[in-house]
Amino acid sequence: MASKPSRTPLIIAIVVIVAIVAAALGYYIYTSKPAATPSPSPTPTKVKIEKVVIGVVQPLTGPYAIFGREAVDAARLVVDIINNELGGVRSLGGAKLDIVVEDAGTSPESARLAAEKLISQYHVPIIYGAYISRFTMAMGTVTEQNKVILVTDALVDDLANQGWMYFFRVAPRASAHGVSAVDFVMDMAKKYNVTIRTAVIINEDSVFGTTVSNGAHLQLVKYGVEVSSHITYPYDITDMSPIIDQIKRLNPDIIIAVPYFSDGVLFAKTAKAAGLNPKFIAGAGACGFTDPDSIKAAGDAVLYYTNTYSYNPAKPTEWNSKLVSEFMRRYGKMPTEAAGEVFYSFFTIYEALEKAGQMFPDDPLNPDHLRQAFLSLDLNESNSIAAQLYPTGRIKFAPNGENLYAGTAVLQVQLINGTLTPVVVWPQPQEGVQPVFPRPGS
Amino acid sequence: MTRSTLLSIALFQAALLAVGFLVSGNNYYMLLLTQVALFAAFVAAWNIIGGLTGQLDLASSAYMALGGIVTSLLWMRLGLPPVVGVWVGGAVAAGLAVLIGIPTFRFGVREVWYALMTASLVVILNNLFRYFMGPWDFYLPNKWGWLYLRPRTYFELFIIVDVVLLAVILVNIYISGSKIGYYLRNIKEDELVSEAVGVDTRLYKLIALAIYSFITGAAGFLQVVIYSSFSYRLFDAGLAISIAIMGIIGGLGSISGAIAAAVVFRALGEYLRSTLGGVIPGLDLLLYGVALIVVGILKPEGLAGLFNQLRRWWRK
Amino acid sequence: MSVGGLLVAVLQQVIDGVFLGLFYAIVASGLALIFGVMDIINFAHGDLVMISAYFVWLISTYLNIDPLLSMLLVLPVLFVLGLAIQKGLINPVLGKEPLIQIAVTVGLGFVLQNIALGYFKAEPRGYPNPVFSEGLSIGPFVIYESKLLSAAVSVLVLFLLDQFLSRTRLGLAMRAVTDDRSSAMLMGINVERVYLLTFAIGMVLVGVASGLWMEMGQVWPYLGTSFSLVSWVAVALAGLGSIRGLAVSAVIIGIAESMGSLISPSVKMAVVYLIFFFILWFKPRGFFAKR
Repeated sequence: MASKPSRTPLIIAIVVIVAIVAAALGYYIYTSKPAATPSPSPTPTKVKIEKVVIGVVQPLTGPYAIFGREAVDAARLVVDIINNELGGVRSLGGAKLDIVVEDAGTSPESARLAAEKLISQYHVPIIYGAYISRFTMAMGTVTEQNKVILVTDALVDDLANQGWMYFFRVAPRASAHGVSAVDFVMDMAKKYNVTIRTAVIINEDSVFGTTVSNGAHLQLVKYGVEVSSHITYPYDITDMSPIIDQIKRLNPDIIIAVPYFSDGVLFAKTAKAAGLNPKFIAGAGACGFTDPDSIKAAGDAVLYYTNTYSYNPAKPTEWNSKLVSEFMRRYGKMPTEAAGEVFYSFFTIYEALEKAGQMFPDDPLNPDHLRQAFLSLDLNESNSIAAQLYPTGRIKFAPNGENLYAGTAVLQVQLINGTLTPVVVWPQPQEGVQPVFPRPGS
Repeated sequence: MTRSTLLSIALFQAALLAVGFLVSGNNYYMLLLTQVALFAAFVAAWNIIGGLTGQLDLASSAYMALGGIVTSLLWMRLGLPPVVGVWVGGAVAAGLAVLIGIPTFRFGVREVWYALMTASLVVILNNLFRYFMGPWDFYLPNKWGWLYLRPRTYFELFIIVDVVLLAVILVNIYISGSKIGYYLRNIKEDELVSEAVGVDTRLYKLIALAIYSFITGAAGFLQVVIYSSFSYRLFDAGLAISIAIMGIIGGLGSISGAIAAAVVFRALGEYLRSTLGGVIPGLDLLLYGVALIVVGILKPEGLAGLFNQLRRWWRK
Repeated sequence: MSVGGLLVAVLQQVIDGVFLGLFYAIVASGLALIFGVMDIINFAHGDLVMISAYFVWLISTYLNIDPLLSMLLVLPVLFVLGLAIQKGLINPVLGKEPLIQIAVTVGLGFVLQNIALGYFKAEPRGYPNPVFSEGLSIGPFVIYESKLLSAAVSVLVLFLLDQFLSRTRLGLAMRAVTDDRSSAMLMGINVERVYLLTFAIGMVLVGVASGLWMEMGQVWPYLGTSFSLVSWVAVALAGLGSIRGLAVSAVIIGIAESMGSLISPSVKMAVVYLIFFFILWFKPRGFFAKR
């Protein structure tokens, strides 16, 4: 090592930097020329499409893996049914559907990589994903630039306000969940003649939880119910008792809770132990309380809890019963929210592909043609499978890609033949079931 | 700085740029390369405090997030273009680091306690930003260009990241060849002894901390550019730990080892995520953990040790 | 809120905090013991609690018995697992640079988390009907049976541990190693064996903590992260070598966390870690250190 700093390093460093900048400029000039070849070649006319590959990006690792894994299971099932029982996409000459699954990982960075990979390696025309809103946001910038249709199962409202052209969401957005929960409770209160003056809202503090709870908050204010407290907590909370004790002191008529998963079980167990028994406890946002795993872990602590669902597994339509029983046969459990969203979103994609084949037989997979096909859909239970699977039974897209007829169902945990079972109680109760309202003994 | 170090830097740069040109047609590889290079830059910056000074700093993501968020907010609220804003972002990060560093070094917090303190700094900032920003994601404005350090193509972004990486490497080499570097190595060997012989250990640790946090904070905005949004979740304890781990696996204090570890593990992680993540969930992270254990137990001197072995073998 | 109401609120949070703190004490005790005796930096402590909680859950659901009973069955398993981990992973990095120890234990944490994710899936698992799941109302206050129980068991186990360390040969050997490794070796203590047993006993403490946890909550693959840092904070606050000090420190943390949730449960951990900062600055050896 030289005792006196020599000047050579500095010079060489400058040379290298100059070289890099020169290379960059050269490249920049080179690429800013009009592109010689048009990007992913529009399919030449009359070439038979063998299969349509749909990219699926879901969180398969990390704290949200629970949902991602179920969604992938459901996607495999739906694709098999479309290919084997419906003979593929008929208007595309019986083209089969195929999926490529990518893990969204645990950060927006990896979700974005996943989208780039699907587009540059597999040239997928459609991507389904990525459950988490900020992952979806990172993907959306990529899908927009590459003109790839993004059908999302991320529910945060904001996603539809980005001015994205190739974005569609069949599932009901987050705030709609909060609104539905409140509508349901107020509807029941009127029906069973219960007065509701005060409410406490508690939610896990993600963007999703906050959006859902804000939807509920506004709706409660609209009904003139006083919100005595709006409490947020992190989803991985390990001790609920301070919160329950606070709520107990406030003694509200109802509680609207937006849990993530394990916190929901913790809430229910702690509330039961504390003897917290308001007139009603309604969940919103589909996670926790009423899904089979929560019931298994919480036991009768969640009895009479409700939650809003983007999907109604008990919907008595031919195709819904079929999918539910196939899912149970193959995976040994009831499909929940994540699977349900895949059911109707994938059948919507399928029906949009049929439509694209009819409208643009020469180039059905062109992104703008696909977009028009999506926008031209007007599905109801008599003309579509997707609508049979959807809670409101109707699917039609607004120009911003949001389903105009979005809505949720409400499930309640009831004791049926001695077992805790989630049953649909709202908007139409399923056969032989009545909502239990208010909570017994309150 | 010797001729051979310069040669290896030039070779490394040439190789990196060559790879960049080769994959420039494929957005996936281009984005991956950019992410790998940025990760390597963070690891190389960490090397200043961790590798050269021997302080187990686990707050890398805190400075990264702080710098990135400050830069983004200056842009979105005051219209200050990020090309200027990053310097402010870096300064704010360094300011906070020094503010905490003064009492920390004054009271002799070191080793595991320094590690835990920095790890909890990430959690504290995470909670505070959560409290003031809410849970929301903030999206960068729809503006693109060099002025905003947010070019339209990944290749240009890669060039920016590459310049940062090169700068960090040069800073590392410059420090380690200078008088400060000499004292830092003394501190790393034995802090008490260097104190006894009259080295102002607090001052030099503080200098190392300031340089590292400034670079990390300034480069933080590039992470925000890749995410295209920011929120309090940028304060990510896991990311800080993995950056420190790369420095360790690379062989403490060896800049080439640190960069090699960052490149290998980030690329391997992505390979496993994309090939196995969809099939066997969690397998990529599991193998990552196994690699850590194996390297930690069998090759504690890290990849740098492996390099030296190879070099010796070559010369035989 | 009236003054009386506020008082009740604060007191209730203090009660909750004390119980939570005593639970943290048992969680942190294994870490404190291992760190004190072996000077090993274990970043996988929380993940060990997590894996052990899965064992408890497995046995509970398989035999349909209360988590507290299955915990007793799990303890020997953990003892053996402790021996294995010490032999295979910890021994090679003993005395190595702290960074290497962190790397290895973080690696172990990753492995455990992802084995759990692959094998048990991401769904939280819990035993639906633990025996102690009710609450007792005393005046305006609520006392949760499960928390009361965990606090009581924790105090009992910590008392036994304290007695063990001050009364038995092995315990005294452990303390000797904590205080001064080289003189302990000169005194003819088989340090290798002490290390092995220390880790195994630490794992048994982990097992107790996980059993108590399963009586209150559920386990999921990322449960450990919630416990790791808090355990370290408790150890920092207490300093080394005093079980009583650890219990008091953990209670302080529990109360701080519980009070923090009065501000907002989303930021309660910031309160805990800020305390940690000031402790390290002004009381770097903790409040109860014996050396």
